[in-house]
Amino acid sequence: MRDEPYRWIEAIQDRRDYIEDQLRVGSPVVGLTYNQGMVLLTIGRGQRKIFEVHDRIALSAIGHPADIERLRMLVTDTASVQGFQNATEDVNLHRLTNFVLAHTFKQAFESIVGEAYIIKMLLAELGSTDDKNRFTCINYDGNVRTDTTATVIGGTETIETGMQNYLATASTDADRDLAAALQLGLEAWAVGRELSSRAPEETESEDTQIDTSQMHEIIKLAREDGEIEAGVLETTQRGTSKFRLLTSQEIEDALP
Amino acid sequence: MNAFFDNSQSVKSSDNHKGDFLSLLKQANYPLKIDVPSETTQHGVDIEIAHSTTVVAVRYRDGVMIAGDRRATAGTSVIYDRAEKVLQIDRHSVLAISGSPAIAYEIARILEHSFQYFRRSQLQELSLEGKLRMLSRLIRENLPMALQGIGGVIPIFALYDLNAADDENGGKIFFYDALGAHFENVNFATTGSGSIWIRGVLRYLSRFGDTPLQEMDEQQATITILRLLDTASEYDAATSGYNARAQIFPNIKTVTRTGVEDISDDELETCYAEAQPDGETV
Repeated sequence: MRDEPYRWIEAIQDRRDYIEDQLRVGSPVVGLTYNQGMVLLTIGRGQRKIFEVHDRIALSAIGHPADIERLRMLVTDTASVQGFQNATEDVNLHRLTNFVLAHTFKQAFESIVGEAYIIKMLLAELGSTDDKNRFTCINYDGNVRTDTTATVIGGTETIETGMQNYLATASTDADRDLAAALQLGLEAWAVGRELSSRAPEETESEDTQIDTSQMHEIIKLAREDGEIEAGVLETTQRGTSKFRLLTSQEIEDALP
Repeated sequence: MNAFFDNSQSVKSSDNHKGDFLSLLKQANYPLKIDVPSETTQHGVDIEIAHSTTVVAVRYRDGVMIAGDRRATAGTSVIYDRAEKVLQIDRHSVLAISGSPAIAYEIARILEHSFQYFRRSQLQELSLEGKLRMLSRLIRENLPMALQGIGGVIPIFALYDLNAADDENGGKIFFYDALGAHFENVNFATTGSGSIWIRGVLRYLSRFGDTPLQEMDEQQATITILRLLDTASEYDAATSGYNARAQIFPNIKTVTRTGVEDISDDELETCYAEAQPDGETV
């Protein structure tokens, strides 16, 4: 098929349409920094979506659970072996992204006779100082995007843009506390949820604004139906491992 | 390219290690065993390995206190006087090492990474029994080195069981033999070349002391341990005491419900003064 470029491009486009259609309804994930570290947040229905990878690296993803699990284990195994054979300081997001994950995603996506990964991954790395905190998003096709203070993954690019726009306009306070970060993250999640519930042609429109009452209604309904999941990389955490999942009580206490 | 960076090798479903870090290391061709040439023993090659020490653990009111002196020796030479022999493994467990330092540090490192790997991959903490068996396995795998007489390791493993019915029974002390069998010591454990000088004292304190070990508060337990290490250093050349000139204290850690904590040098200095007989200064 590679001898016939048109058919190959067409097959890739079909594959892209198929994967994006599968990802469209995925529950978005929001990553934010706060004054004591970084938080990843989503609302799920029982399937855990936020994971510890290494001492200062956490992972979340949307997509098919089997693909998330395989790639989570790939990056966890790699980080664990590298951290043991060298030193934990030698494990970093840059190496894991560029030398392990990105090309794995790309290779699977472009091998049109094989199975593609239905996944979008978000990784967070707690830096030694605030300005070294990093969020990295890896698309199913291997494209990588890096942010320093806030990021999102959602089913489509339009959903992500709508969520990013909300984050950019709703808060410029990088020194927010955990409660403020959770609230902001939930609001951005609600924007993503609303956009993903629209028909594809509606989502592509310029109108990605939703009002506050609608946003709070979406959050309320989602919390009745599912559970907020949040994991933090905390500078104040004792020991070398900085990751922990927030308990449901901590989340309840932090939200109004 | 390293096999772990070769995605075609790494994402096969058959590569699921089910939380077993040793299996993962073997796949990565990490040499877990050192092949010692048979000539080493046949021809009696003279190899001086740093060993000998005193480590001690006692159950006290809040959990376990575990300590070690700082001296590392090779033959009759003191080669280092700031050795760390009490190593934190995870948030609620500590390994105190005696024997060959190279092997002991490697065992401690593998153990630490194994617990982390299990938690990260299996999404739950390894159970207390699972942790004990992992250490047994590592000691057993080291048996050839121990039999050669150059790599024996006899550790004490102390941890806090968060699932214990009450705080009084949370602190646990386990002693291992060279084959990896583990035994729970109820109130205390000590190992290393200086341990023979204090084991009887520990037994006496535990059974007949004015305040039994398990009822002591943190300061009482610290003072008791400092006195025990001082006693061991008096009779065992491979165990160091307190070096006032260089301000070198033993390592002492506590393992309680809230996690592992170091007793700071400032606290140790205060306790050391308290530990001396009336009228005597350090």
